[in-house]
Amino acid sequence: MKTYVLAKFADEGAVLSAARALREGGHRALDIHSPVPIHGAEEALGLRPSKIPTLALLAGLTGAATAFLMQWWMVGFNYPINVGNRPPLSLPAFIPIIFELTVLFAAGAIFFGVMILAGFPRTHHPVFEVEGFRSASIDGIWLSAEVESLDAHPMVDQLRTLGAGQVSIVPEDLQVVTP
Amino acid sequence: MSTAPNQLLADDPLEPYPLMVGRPDDRTVTEDVLRPIWRPTRKGWLMLVGLGSVGVALFGLAVTVTFAVGIGAWGNNIPVAWAFDITNFVWWIGIGHAGTLISAILLLFQQRWRTSINRMAEAMTLFAVMMAGAYPLLHLGRPQFFYWLFPYPSTLGLWPQFKSPLLWDVFAVSTYFTVSFLFWYLGLIPDLASLRDASKHRWQRMVYGIFALGWRGSAHHWRHYRIAYLLLAGLATPLVLSVHTIVSFDFAVSVLPGWHTTIFPPYFVAGAIFSGFAMVLTLMIPARRYLGLEHFVTMRHLENMAKVILATGLMVDYGYVMENFFAWYGGNPYEAFAFWNRSHGPYAWAFFTQMTCNVLVPQLLWFRKLRTSVAVLWVISILVNVGMWLERFNIIVVSLHRDFMPTMWGIYTPTWVDWSLFIGTIATFGTLFLLFLRAVPAVSASEVKELRRQLDAEAAGGGTHAVPHLSQTRPEAS
Amino acid sequence: MPSMSDRPSLPAPSDGDRSERPDSRAALPKLWRNLTELAGAPSISPEEIPPEVGELVHLGRRGFLQVLGGSAAVMGLAACRPPHEKLVPYVHQPVEVTPGTPQAYATAVAIDGLATGVLVTSYQGRPTKVEGNPAHPSSLGAIGTFEQATLLDLYDPGRARGREVLGQPFALRPFLVRASELAASHDADKGARLRFLVGPSSSPLIGDLRRRLLERFPRARFRTWAPLSEDARTEGSRVAFGQPLDPRLHLDKASVVLALDADLFGTDPEALRQSREFTSRRNPGPDLNRLYVAETTLTVTGGFADHRFRMRPSEVLGFGQAIAAALAERHGLAQLRPLGHSLPAGSPHLRAAAAVAADLARSRGKCLVAVGPGQPPAVHALGHALNAALGADGATITYRQPVLHDTQTGPDGLRELAAEIAAGQVDTLVCTAWNPAYSAPADLDFGGLLRKVPHSIYLSTRQDETWARCNWKLGATHPFESWGDARGRDGTASIVQPLLAPLWETTSEAELLSAILGEGRSTYDQVRDLWRSRARLAGPAFEQAWSAWLAQGIVPATAEPVVRATPRWEAIAAAVGAVKLPTGGLEVRFAPDAKVLDGRFAENAWMQELPDPITSLCWDNAAQVSPATAGQLGIDNGAVVKLTCRDRSIEAPVWIVPGHADGAVTLPLGYGRATTVPQPVELDNKPEPLANGIGFDAYRLRRSTAFWFDAGLAVTATGRRWTFAVQQGDFAQEGRPHALSYTNGDWPKQGTHEVEEHRGPQPVIIEPVNYDKEAYKWGMAIDLSRCTGCSACVIACQEENNIPVVGREQVQRRRQMHWLRIDRYFSGTAEDPVTISQPVACVHCESAPCEYVCPVNATVHSDEGLNEMIYNRCVGTRYCSNNCPYKVRRFNFLDYRGEMEPTEKMLMNPDVTVRVRGVMEKCTYCVQRIERSRIQARVEGRPIREGEVKSACQQSCPTEAIAFGNLNDPTSRVAALHRDERRYDLLHDLGTRPRTAYLVRITNPNPELT
Repeated sequence: MKTYVLAKFADEGAVLSAARALREGGHRALDIHSPVPIHGAEEALGLRPSKIPTLALLAGLTGAATAFLMQWWMVGFNYPINVGNRPPLSLPAFIPIIFELTVLFAAGAIFFGVMILAGFPRTHHPVFEVEGFRSASIDGIWLSAEVESLDAHPMVDQLRTLGAGQVSIVPEDLQVVTP
Repeated sequence: MSTAPNQLLADDPLEPYPLMVGRPDDRTVTEDVLRPIWRPTRKGWLMLVGLGSVGVALFGLAVTVTFAVGIGAWGNNIPVAWAFDITNFVWWIGIGHAGTLISAILLLFQQRWRTSINRMAEAMTLFAVMMAGAYPLLHLGRPQFFYWLFPYPSTLGLWPQFKSPLLWDVFAVSTYFTVSFLFWYLGLIPDLASLRDASKHRWQRMVYGIFALGWRGSAHHWRHYRIAYLLLAGLATPLVLSVHTIVSFDFAVSVLPGWHTTIFPPYFVAGAIFSGFAMVLTLMIPARRYLGLEHFVTMRHLENMAKVILATGLMVDYGYVMENFFAWYGGNPYEAFAFWNRSHGPYAWAFFTQMTCNVLVPQLLWFRKLRTSVAVLWVISILVNVGMWLERFNIIVVSLHRDFMPTMWGIYTPTWVDWSLFIGTIATFGTLFLLFLRAVPAVSASEVKELRRQLDAEAAGGGTHAVPHLSQTRPEAS
Repeated sequence: MPSMSDRPSLPAPSDGDRSERPDSRAALPKLWRNLTELAGAPSISPEEIPPEVGELVHLGRRGFLQVLGGSAAVMGLAACRPPHEKLVPYVHQPVEVTPGTPQAYATAVAIDGLATGVLVTSYQGRPTKVEGNPAHPSSLGAIGTFEQATLLDLYDPGRARGREVLGQPFALRPFLVRASELAASHDADKGARLRFLVGPSSSPLIGDLRRRLLERFPRARFRTWAPLSEDARTEGSRVAFGQPLDPRLHLDKASVVLALDADLFGTDPEALRQSREFTSRRNPGPDLNRLYVAETTLTVTGGFADHRFRMRPSEVLGFGQAIAAALAERHGLAQLRPLGHSLPAGSPHLRAAAAVAADLARSRGKCLVAVGPGQPPAVHALGHALNAALGADGATITYRQPVLHDTQTGPDGLRELAAEIAAGQVDTLVCTAWNPAYSAPADLDFGGLLRKVPHSIYLSTRQDETWARCNWKLGATHPFESWGDARGRDGTASIVQPLLAPLWETTSEAELLSAILGEGRSTYDQVRDLWRSRARLAGPAFEQAWSAWLAQGIVPATAEPVVRATPRWEAIAAAVGAVKLPTGGLEVRFAPDAKVLDGRFAENAWMQELPDPITSLCWDNAAQVSPATAGQLGIDNGAVVKLTCRDRSIEAPVWIVPGHADGAVTLPLGYGRATTVPQPVELDNKPEPLANGIGFDAYRLRRSTAFWFDAGLAVTATGRRWTFAVQQGDFAQEGRPHALSYTNGDWPKQGTHEVEEHRGPQPVIIEPVNYDKEAYKWGMAIDLSRCTGCSACVIACQEENNIPVVGREQVQRRRQMHWLRIDRYFSGTAEDPVTISQPVACVHCESAPCEYVCPVNATVHSDEGLNEMIYNRCVGTRYCSNNCPYKVRRFNFLDYRGEMEPTEKMLMNPDVTVRVRGVMEKCTYCVQRIERSRIQARVEGRPIREGEVKSACQQSCPTEAIAFGNLNDPTSRVAALHRDERRYDLLHDLGTRPRTAYLVRITNPNPELT
């Protein structure tokens, strides 16, 4: 059964070194929680760069293509009308909508990209069961390791040796144990 | 209403006002920012909201009358087929632009002073765009068919007319609102998490918990979040420019003297930022006091915004000079008359008030004494908004009321419905803003915390290389 | 059949009659117009019961329900039923009725007894449009505002109806009994105490009834009353020729025309013909005629003149005498010397008189002097003398016997009648004249006297001021509802045939008179019998002739022969010498109003909303003064002033008119009304009187002895103000090339190259769509040389296109809906302005600015180049109007149609959409007419012919200033006009490529006066 081990650290340096140590120790399922982004956390946890930019680029291009094809087809082919002696296919008139849809699609992709990649919305997560963890969004800096329940206690000791303050164990069945 | 902390270091003119007074730690920042939300409702706030709701009711009444009776309930006529409706639309859209500018463009330019004002500015944007969006719908002769402006397969087999600036407006404004909202909400998530975690009652925790979407401040979150926020800022920047450009097309694309001019796009954007910043000041000066956040929103912020107003004001003045120059130099009698008519016609009073508010008054901001006086700033900001409203009024109504055919010249006089709609939107806007102040942090706690780290680092190492601002590095760069 | 049940002794139509219109009878359910008839019905003796009424007598339950349903649905179905007598459609129309296809019927509209031939378009018994009858000499195919507006009166729910005797409502049958009893009471003294007050009439039928009445009541008297009486004109000819003669102007033969206070193209009964004849000579070149106008009030005619001399009414005689003098002294017309009297030195008109005299003398036999009815007989006599001396007699002016039964229609007869009433010598007054209580000269107090008459019988289409003072009140039948006849000014007779059965319980003049005669024959039979005898025809021959008359709209060879008239110089000189004109102080002139005439159209919404051709006022009249006079009096537009003249005074708002004579005030008649309207139970929203509370009543200052103008007027400001509803925004061109005008001298030498700038192709980025390949390329041309600004086209457009009336307050908000407006520009000095009128409707730009800004494709271009407005697609952004440089688009700001009453719905042209609130509308080039012709042409497998499609405005235009047709047909008139050297485009430099072209106006001023 999966178990989360939460350890509170005094400052950012400590949590980063702890994370590096654990990774060298072979632990991969690690995470750092902090009220503000900690520079170097991604590197310490070995996270790859976000896919959001690529996503945005593709979505933007899709938006542009959609806008252009829509107008081009609607006024140029499906129902061309003589409007004020203007040619049906007048590119300059299409530009504003092409631009707007580019932005709209890209922005949508970015926001929902975050939702999906970061696994939002997820309002119930085992770590929330630790009362002290509330400080993670205010001033607390936490490290969470995801381990098999048997390995929980060794991990606790290891974290303590790495300088953690309060350490808690949250099994997936949410029986919080504070050794 | 300038308070003690603002005066720190003020006596040395070469020393700028601080971005933040004191160096509160994270918990203090959170507590300071969240206090207005937790603390019991105050009388002043209640009275304002009550006043606002009266205005909202008036708005509702005016809208009902308009829908029941028709556009005839307004003062509009032929030749003046657009009047208060589109004037207000352009005015509100313009106001909205400042918020996006502060939160997006200043972010890209790494202006740290944006940090503690962007939340309020963005909220203002959202509410302003809501107000603006109401008018294009209201001004339709048959509002029940507004959806004909969207490209959907109708039974007539007919599509919208993509050469019409009004259709561009539909796309621009809806995109603008959507993006602004996403941007604002994304920035809000970490603070919503703080609210959730700092809340005393279970229901608060649940409500904020839902809106926080399960934010755990995890490094996984941050790595997507930071780049996403940066990219949205990058998108919002050209977007805000495009929106007012397109709004200006409504006029520039027509053949009407006074509308048909190529200078409109830049001139409208400058005007938008001009009036937008004025509105931010109008709202923020009382708000910072009410929220007790003078040490986060310092005189430095107010002064910088005053400087932006001064700069954009000068751009607008340039626009005025140019359009009149073209009217004269272009040698088109209709064009020339249109501008002569603004200063000599029956609406000259509007023209001169506009010039006073938009050209003369902002010049006061050259003087540091004046632009660092909260009271003066507040008055100026209101005058600028009056001036910018009149600018749109002059462009729309005064150009229309005397165009090509003298026999069809006419005078426009607003009815009580026109006024109610105008006042009603202002009231609705204000009410929404008041509710916002009570519901979410008016200053972004998480960004202030970062700012403090930067300032600390600078104080310590004197360099900016200690803790980079989130706009300054990509995760992999280290 | 109801229309028969209330005409008791009318025999049921023969089977022959019935078989002639089987469709119309089959198509329509049996309904009764109202329950009063049913009440009366059972009393009919069986043998004269028409079939349907027969069913009524044994009324079963179903039948009864039918009746109730009938009375409810009455306004609708029963109303739009053609009369049962045989109607004959206009000659050029197919005789059979196809549902959905309109038919035109020829009939006549008589105003003050003088008929104008009209063609009425009718959809299955619903007349929807009145047009001119080309065959009629007074119409020549054109139609005026008043004739067209009568159609709105027909359907007006506010019309007077029913019969009321001493407060009791009467059905027709009991009324007939009552009337014959009253008549019988006058047999004893041979009608000594019986008086008739009728309107001017030329109807042979009425004439016959009058003759028979006088046979029975030899001591009865007929008086004729018309507020716009032309007595002075008749009297003038009596002075000049010893007999009352009716002069007829032949303006097409005249090169030089002098109009002395004569509104030849405005309110003159012959305005249509005279406009057509005068403008037929209005093409630039040596043949271009010249018009001098001497007048007080700026009229349509004055605005159209080449030279206009403004003078007080009393000065006109002097001006005429000065011309006579000049002609006598310098041009050897000695016979004029006794009439002549040169102007005092220093008079502003010295040069003018000399120049005009010289011009007249130059063109002897080709010139003409016309005098208006507002001038005293002496001036008319002088005019006849001038014409005789200048050789105009027989050439440009001919004389005929008057066609009216009474040549005396003015205040004198009325004064005598008033005296008789005051002396209590009148027991019964039968009044069919229009509203004498309101329109009689104030000094007669006729309204008060009416109450003294024991039996005052009043027949009227309105519950007007006279209605309120009479005790026998009869709602009058509309001319489109009843049979009759009438004669044009030249005597040409027309049979008036009804377009539909009476909408309401009403009585016609003929029915009333025959009721008093105790005769029960139907008007239809009376007319036929009369004309059978007059034509000396019988049997099939007569039937054939009858059909032809109805089909043609005229009875041929009925015109009065021309009479040779020789002037009696001494009598004229004596009259001219003896005439005493009121002088001293401000002069007041009473004028017919361009909108309500003498007031009889005051309840007509179209006419009320029609902008006055000169002042552009809607829903109002105003005391008109010149700028200088206003300055002296210290009053401005909208100031309410107290006008006092001979111890009578009224209050009126002031409107300053450029070009008005100084020292005079013009008071248009017909306003300041106190009308009531019936409140019919069957109507949801009750009609309201339109004219009450607007304008002022100028009749209250009018005296029988100073009928048309008076002196000694005192004007004092009251300090109060009145807000007018003015259609036009600015009367100056602001130096813009909108309405171009050149003098015959400058044209073409100087003019053409200037006009070049306003036409022709322009550099464009986008190659314009080429319409030359299309079969039809519709276009319009408007010739400013011909447009007088009479506004007939505005009403024609309103009638044809279901254009709503918005009301006074909405006009003040500048929301009038007229698709076609007439722009009037004043240039030059405010004292003597140059007036030019320019009709402007949608010009159907090929590169239309309105189209590309519409977000929903609600206004787009057709293959044939029409700028089309798709009402049901419009969402009402109004962007198109903002971007329309011509500002011809109209927006339904409110629900202007609202809930229409059934009769009002009948007025709607079924070919034209009735627009809803919130949509934009504008001129469509009468696309519905184009499509009708297209269908017709397709059926016949041929292209649409030139002249087959006429826009409503074009059809009505008396001067043929508007041409419409196919530009791809090089032979079409419009194509020719587009090629004309005078052609230019409005706002050409915008590159909108309008399809409506304008032709420069060419005036012909006298070089000696410039």
